[in-house]
Amino acid sequence: MAHRNEEEGSIGTSMHGVTAKEHVFSFSDQGEDAWSSHSVQSDDPTAKFALPVDSEHKAKVFKPFSFAKPHMRAFHLGWISFFTCFISTFAAAPLVPIIRDNLNLTKTDIGNAGVASVSGAIFSRLAMGAVCDLLGARYGTAFLLMLSAPAVFSMSFVADAGGYLSVRFMIGFCLATFVSCSYWTSVMFTGKIIGLVNGCAGGWGDMGGGVTQLLMPMVFHVIKVAGATPFTAWRIAFFVPGFLQVIMGILVLTLGQDLPDGNLSTLQKKGDVSKDKLTKVFWYALRNYRTYVLFILYGFSMGIEMTINNVISEYFFDRFQLKLHTAGMIAASFGMANFFARPIGGFASDMSARFFGMRGRLWTLWILQTSGGLFCVWLGRATSLPIAILAMMLFSFGVQAACGAIYGVVPFVSRRSLGIISGLTGAGGNFGSGVTQLAFFSSSRFHTADGLSLMGITSMIVTLLVAFIHFPQWGSMFLGPTSDGRKSKEEHYYAAEWTEEEKLKGLHEGSLKFAENSRSERGKKAAPDGTSTPLENENPADV
Amino acid sequence: MAIHQMLFASLLICLLFQISHGATKERLFSDLEKGALEVTAKPSRGGVLDAGIDKLSITWKLSSTATKEAEFTTIKVKLCYAPVSQVDRPWRKTENELFKDKSCPHKIITRPYDKSPQSFEYTLERDIPTGTYFVRAYAVDAKDHEVAFGQSTDEAKSTNLFSVQAISGRHKSLDIASVCFSVFSVLALLVFFVNEKRKAKLEQSK
Repeated sequence: MAHRNEEEGSIGTSMHGVTAKEHVFSFSDQGEDAWSSHSVQSDDPTAKFALPVDSEHKAKVFKPFSFAKPHMRAFHLGWISFFTCFISTFAAAPLVPIIRDNLNLTKTDIGNAGVASVSGAIFSRLAMGAVCDLLGARYGTAFLLMLSAPAVFSMSFVADAGGYLSVRFMIGFCLATFVSCSYWTSVMFTGKIIGLVNGCAGGWGDMGGGVTQLLMPMVFHVIKVAGATPFTAWRIAFFVPGFLQVIMGILVLTLGQDLPDGNLSTLQKKGDVSKDKLTKVFWYALRNYRTYVLFILYGFSMGIEMTINNVISEYFFDRFQLKLHTAGMIAASFGMANFFARPIGGFASDMSARFFGMRGRLWTLWILQTSGGLFCVWLGRATSLPIAILAMMLFSFGVQAACGAIYGVVPFVSRRSLGIISGLTGAGGNFGSGVTQLAFFSSSRFHTADGLSLMGITSMIVTLLVAFIHFPQWGSMFLGPTSDGRKSKEEHYYAAEWTEEEKLKGLHEGSLKFAENSRSERGKKAAPDGTSTPLENENPADV
Repeated sequence: MAIHQMLFASLLICLLFQISHGATKERLFSDLEKGALEVTAKPSRGGVLDAGIDKLSITWKLSSTATKEAEFTTIKVKLCYAPVSQVDRPWRKTENELFKDKSCPHKIITRPYDKSPQSFEYTLERDIPTGTYFVRAYAVDAKDHEVAFGQSTDEAKSTNLFSVQAISGRHKSLDIASVCFSVFSVLALLVFFVNEKRKAKLEQSK
């Protein structure tokens, strides 16, 4: 009965909680109301959650104005940590006109440092998935924040191009907070709303790349006015992102919680959560071809976004003869569009899944990323400031919404290796950024404007790879699900990641729970008379 | 619809600004009278000069070959990059269109035009980057348009150049603060980590 209610209200369900007018289910003893009774298998009768939860104790609604333990709190701590790291990684970019004079940098030096700033995270994002699987999202995040803060502070020592490059490289490692953040939200929120939740977390975190373009010139200006000479003022300015990182690290450790049911170390010692083998988790991620496709796709959405964070301020400063803070303001608008662009991408992904299932998600992704590439080409061609700004804003929307849409797909590629795949996709973003900066913005061979257009064209070509993502149970952009009765079940896809002996030990229980919850990816199958019917195969006995 | 109209109007206004601004855009460097002023720039000492410390002795006077002297109102003296300091640095590029030219960004002094020879003792500012330079003086008319110039080097910009070493911008106090905060960050993390491991062990033994 409760389940039927859910289906009828389903168009609005994903938005439940966003308006903050929804009924809040505060700590009820047995969770016995109509909302949650269907899903909470009272294997843990002491479960008390502020939000309605599913069988894995993941929240089923998203309330961005709430800080309730553990779900919403994890969300806020996660995205703010990621936001802080974005500020630090791209803090140098708006100050480059000053730094290049202080350190006597050439265009090649600046380009190489830009590549270095995003390269470190390729490896840290790869490792991060495993770290989160093993240590929990809290320590993953805190390690990154508090161990890369020294790198931020060490900008005060930099004296030449080599030092500048090394420090930017070391700061860049902290971009792996993206993985810990999306890992944290993926364990806290259920599949139906994960697109929106990850879109918000990722988008608001990515905003840091925009905020830094405003923040750093402002801090620099204030320090200069206070009496410091420019070549010292920019160094002092770097203490601000450094402080932010340390403070966030402490907050994450004191206020956060790894899993809906508690902290990882406590749960593991109690025997509630089994430790998985790293090699197995990695192997199943590498065996899945979708991992590689997502790696490349993200490289040309997030990768391009990060490249733009590094080059756009200098581009506007030089090409349109603007003041430092004016160029910073325009560059900031690019990154700030993330506030709504990426969540909209995630939401669009969820909405299209509601009607068309996984196929909807894939088409949404393709449309958004291709239009992003198109507007990037236009940005490079624009010779007047208003047109350039218009093109940039449209470009920012397309490419950032595409990022949100990709992470609407990622949680469904694997259950066992979610952490690693999340990390690999994220690493792909950094890889793409490094490659695009190296190819288009590191030499004096062509103007930055041409580099932008070429990057846009390359992106449009690469995005065609979306057509190759195929799920046997749900289909792909052009093909339907497989007709084989056994293989077209979600359980078969997710259980295939476990060997027979592991299944005998019951280690795949989590995957089966997830498979049941993922049936929403079939979309609505409209009946001939136009009314929608509830999803087929809703047989709890399967589990 | 109102929004569309507003956007279109603002776009149109911006375009108009571009067009009107364009009238002044075509002023070219090649149109200026060369060598109208004789400029010399003598460093206070040999070798590489230190920004913020060393000085330049700059003199300028009207050259005998000058023809547009009647229009001179102000003299703007600037520090300019020599070609070697412009390599692989497109933000210092020499452009013929005067408003686009970025090769002389550092202002030294601006003085009303005087027929008699002028001189100025310039201390290199602390925000001058490391590089090789020469000095150029622009003669500007009443409309603030450049009409002529003179420079301390030849046309190929290869003689009489001097080198400047920028300040590092580093300070000992900054270095120390940086180390302190870094150590704090790492220590705080370790303390939390060890503490939590201890608590988890206690829980398990219960």
